[in-house]
Amino acid sequence: MVNIKKMTLGAKFRIGLLALALILPALPFATDYFLHTVILIYLYMVLALGLNVVPGFNGLLDLGYVGFYGIGAYTAGLLTVHFGFSFWTIVPLAFLNGALWGVLLGAPTLRLTGDYFAIVTFGFSELVVLFLTNEIWLTRGPLGLPGIEPVSLDLSLFGGPRWEFVGEVPYYYLAIALVLAAVFVMYRIQDSRLGRAWFAIRDDEVAAVSCGINLLTYKVFAFAISAAFGAVGGCFFARWVTFLSPDMFKFWESFLVLCMIVLGGMGNIWGVMVGAVVLVSLSEILRELLPLLGLPVEVRFLGFGLIMVLMMRYRPAGLLPIPAVAAQMRSGRVRRKKVKATVGLNK
Amino acid sequence: MFLQQLINGLTIGGIYAMIAVGYTMVYGVIQLINFAHGEIYMLGAFFAVSFIAFLHLPFFVAFLLSMACCAICGVLLDVIAYRPLRNSPRLAALITAIGMSIFLQNLAMIIWGSRPKPFPHGSLPEYFEKTAVSFWGVNLSWFHLFIFGITICMMIGLNLIIRKTRWGKAMRAVAQNKTMAALAGINVNRVISYTFALAGAMGGAAGIMVSAYYNSLYPTMGYLAGVKAFAAAVLGGIGSVPGAMLGGVVLGIAEALGAGYLSSLYRDGISYAVMIIVIVLIPAGLFGKVLKETKKSM
Repeated sequence: MVNIKKMTLGAKFRIGLLALALILPALPFATDYFLHTVILIYLYMVLALGLNVVPGFNGLLDLGYVGFYGIGAYTAGLLTVHFGFSFWTIVPLAFLNGALWGVLLGAPTLRLTGDYFAIVTFGFSELVVLFLTNEIWLTRGPLGLPGIEPVSLDLSLFGGPRWEFVGEVPYYYLAIALVLAAVFVMYRIQDSRLGRAWFAIRDDEVAAVSCGINLLTYKVFAFAISAAFGAVGGCFFARWVTFLSPDMFKFWESFLVLCMIVLGGMGNIWGVMVGAVVLVSLSEILRELLPLLGLPVEVRFLGFGLIMVLMMRYRPAGLLPIPAVAAQMRSGRVRRKKVKATVGLNK
Repeated sequence: MFLQQLINGLTIGGIYAMIAVGYTMVYGVIQLINFAHGEIYMLGAFFAVSFIAFLHLPFFVAFLLSMACCAICGVLLDVIAYRPLRNSPRLAALITAIGMSIFLQNLAMIIWGSRPKPFPHGSLPEYFEKTAVSFWGVNLSWFHLFIFGITICMMIGLNLIIRKTRWGKAMRAVAQNKTMAALAGINVNRVISYTFALAGAMGGAAGIMVSAYYNSLYPTMGYLAGVKAFAAAVLGGIGSVPGAMLGGVVLGIAEALGAGYLSSLYRDGISYAVMIIVIVLIPAGLFGKVLKETKKSM
């Protein structure tokens, strides 16, 4: 039995949050809309945790994350509509498909330096959207893919009942399970050999190579894992909203997830989750507020753009910075200033 | 048919080239992919229409005035957003650029509304629509000639500025080595502002011409055009001005021919595919130097 008195404040706080999350649907103010928003927050937490691997753990900018999200969502949608696969078999399949595309895209391009890599990922996600829009025989294109079955839990194989997910509450708990799994995996990876190698790469590539880390292998691993998380997020999304359309996977989504990471603190698992909470809530509030002011709903991205710019200016390592990233963001400024002062004759 | 497609490709390609030059100049000077450049292009179109609609200026005056405004916008963009981050890691500046792009796009949406608009009726000179030259079954309107003329003049002018003037020399010096340029008495920040102004003016002019060509402008128009122009800059070798010009023209023709003969659905995909293939196979592009990246990207 765990002794509650011996736990640190942080652990108590986390357990309290988890307990609150678990009883949330039973609270009186938990309407369907409210739960829907919270599920959205959980979904974006998974996505942000996945994306975090690339910019946060490896220091590479990934602008095409939504491509993998879309691949996962359409994998789930098509397998469900055409072959009637169950959610529980689709999740690993989507995971593998995401990882596969991550490797296919990452292996040739991860040798590139930061800017070029960002551009390639961006181009990839746009190509994914074009593919989903134009290959009408497969995806029904802009008409969208309706009629995806909701998730069901079929225990008849073991003599149990079959349970269809109706309403938001079952999805709510499914989403919590996904978030917990993602957080667990991320913590385990972060403390593993893989995670340490990534941090070494992020902090100093040259030093990492000279310690015997194969840059390309580890970066491809990172990219594949990130892509796989995106695909699982997409898989959940497909079975939750039961309708897909290529418009859902435009660059904006990548930007939004990136914004969460930047806001919360790149590389910080708790930070990116906080980022997801803040931005999804803000987005929902603005969605209500903007029409009252007579503005189109898309304008909320104005705020997100501004958040990115201001964060980079005043708090580049995010709201909950981790020391390594903060030092890097700062050291860049200081080191360069010194070069200027000593006139840079050694250059 | 083939010739007509070729002419269309050349027209659009010239415009891509004008935007691409802006990317490549800014990249050459501060090694930053200025994602917000596509938004300057969009602002150019909106400024011109606003001048015509509210101040009732003739098209050509509005054209020049709008270019000047875009140059100012470019400088402001640099001073407000990029200059404070000049010594930060590249990742920070890149994220700021994306943030500014999205900010400007939505600002335009608030100011001018999100629906596509045409140019005010009768604001474009009437002879634009009329056929100027006709040969081998191809009709060239005056507007085509106007676009060609402006594009060629601007390209030549830009080359002269970069090669012959003191400012151009200073720009090239800053692109090579900022510290040494500063030692030689060049005001680096002013040169960078000047580069942004040139890039902004070219981008704005491109925006006006495209929106007049299709007679439609909308706040998100900068996004796609920006990406395509960036692909053109990459194709030509980023940092190389002649490369960006050639890249734009090649991409425009490839797109027109690809859309005409292969599949019009993947018209936009051509530029993404070109971009990815060039980056993976020949990252230096057609004319660029191989980048010596000593500094880490973050």
